[in-house]
Amino acid sequence: MKAKQLKIEIREVPGTDMIKVMHFSGELVSECVMQINQVFSDLTDQKQLFVIAEMSAVTLISSAALGEFMGCRKRLLEQGGDLVFSGIKIDIRTKLNLMGATKIFRIYTDVRSAIAAYNWEIGHKPEKINLKFPPFLKIVPPIRQLVSRIAKQKGYGNRDSFRIETIVDEICNNAIEHGRNQVGELIDLSITIDPDKIEIDVTNISDPVKLETLTTLLVPDNGSDKKNKADLKRGRGLTLIKMLSDELSVDSTEQGTSVHVKKVREE
Amino acid sequence: MAKNEHPSLDNQKLNCLNMQFPFALDITFPGDLEYIPAIRKFVAEILQVSSFSPRFAYRSEIIVDEICNNAVVYGCHSENAEISLSSRVGSDNIEFIIKDQGGTRENITRLKKAVTTDAAEKDESINQEGLGLEIVRMLSERMDVVIDENNLTSVHIVRKREDERNKI
Repeated sequence: MKAKQLKIEIREVPGTDMIKVMHFSGELVSECVMQINQVFSDLTDQKQLFVIAEMSAVTLISSAALGEFMGCRKRLLEQGGDLVFSGIKIDIRTKLNLMGATKIFRIYTDVRSAIAAYNWEIGHKPEKINLKFPPFLKIVPPIRQLVSRIAKQKGYGNRDSFRIETIVDEICNNAIEHGRNQVGELIDLSITIDPDKIEIDVTNISDPVKLETLTTLLVPDNGSDKKNKADLKRGRGLTLIKMLSDELSVDSTEQGTSVHVKKVREE
Repeated sequence: MAKNEHPSLDNQKLNCLNMQFPFALDITFPGDLEYIPAIRKFVAEILQVSSFSPRFAYRSEIIVDEICNNAVVYGCHSENAEISLSSRVGSDNIEFIIKDQGGTRENITRLKKAVTTDAAEKDESINQEGLGLEIVRMLSERMDVVIDENNLTSVHIVRKREDERNKI
């Protein structure tokens, strides 16, 4: 049976000239190796080093073609670029997995995800997640888990993710404990993450009754009795956040309290 | 108002400890598939801490996964596209509203068809491609899609607590 002819089409990515998408269609049999090699050579000659191989219309990848992709990727890596796959059909992906190729190549579900991953890595483009939640303590564990999972998904290590989780836990608990807890009032959590750092902002409505305690805890230690008394049991959370983060600022007024934390990626 | 099980605590502290239904929870995240596993787990965990059964939580997780996947794949085209997921958790139900910036005319027509037509009436192509929405329909009490004049798509889903109904 005759193999479906391979077609390769190179497409631009709007908004960036650093990334190129190679749309493959047909069967990548061993006879296609030279064709694949030529297309990659043309791109590297033009200094187009970040490539997405879009495979949703590919029905077969032979081991020879896979070996050629590995060689092309190696050449791109040597020049500071990379090659990733997108849209690979589930049956082909299973075979690649069995061959161990998924340990070498990054595979994305679609071109958009692959472009977003490149923008994240090359462009250091921050991504933002906003959450509004009610002031219930039981909700904090899922929130800390959410932020930790996102950090891990974005490539942060276990230690960084755990520290981020601890910071989120602490500031969300503080917002609930020291803010106004009325039905229908929500606390704002905003996460801005890029490959180098994560910034966490929590804003809540101040409770006038608790504002004095909160401002006492926020005053730097000046040896006063009032501060010392408060320090006995309270304020350890903020000290912990200071230890774990690279920047902490708290702005508390009668209208609202906002906490900003910056944590630089360590690993 | 929840019964005071902790007489030593004032009402403010009680509000923090006891969850009061219904409550709202809104999340906005980038239109990228890699966020969805974390979001679906988050929804499941919120339901579990709200005393819904693990089965209810898991089924709701599937709904969120499916609708958010559709929103990213068909409704996010610009580089900075975002998905908004609003949840309203009641004592015996949950409502989701998932919004995206809207897809192409073709995709919107397919979505409308998939939502409005009964499974038996659908043509073969929709039956093959619209299985995700079919699962959502099976798992939910109600599903509506609103598409405004700017193609902004909003999917509204209601699920009711099923624990008692399914206890045999």
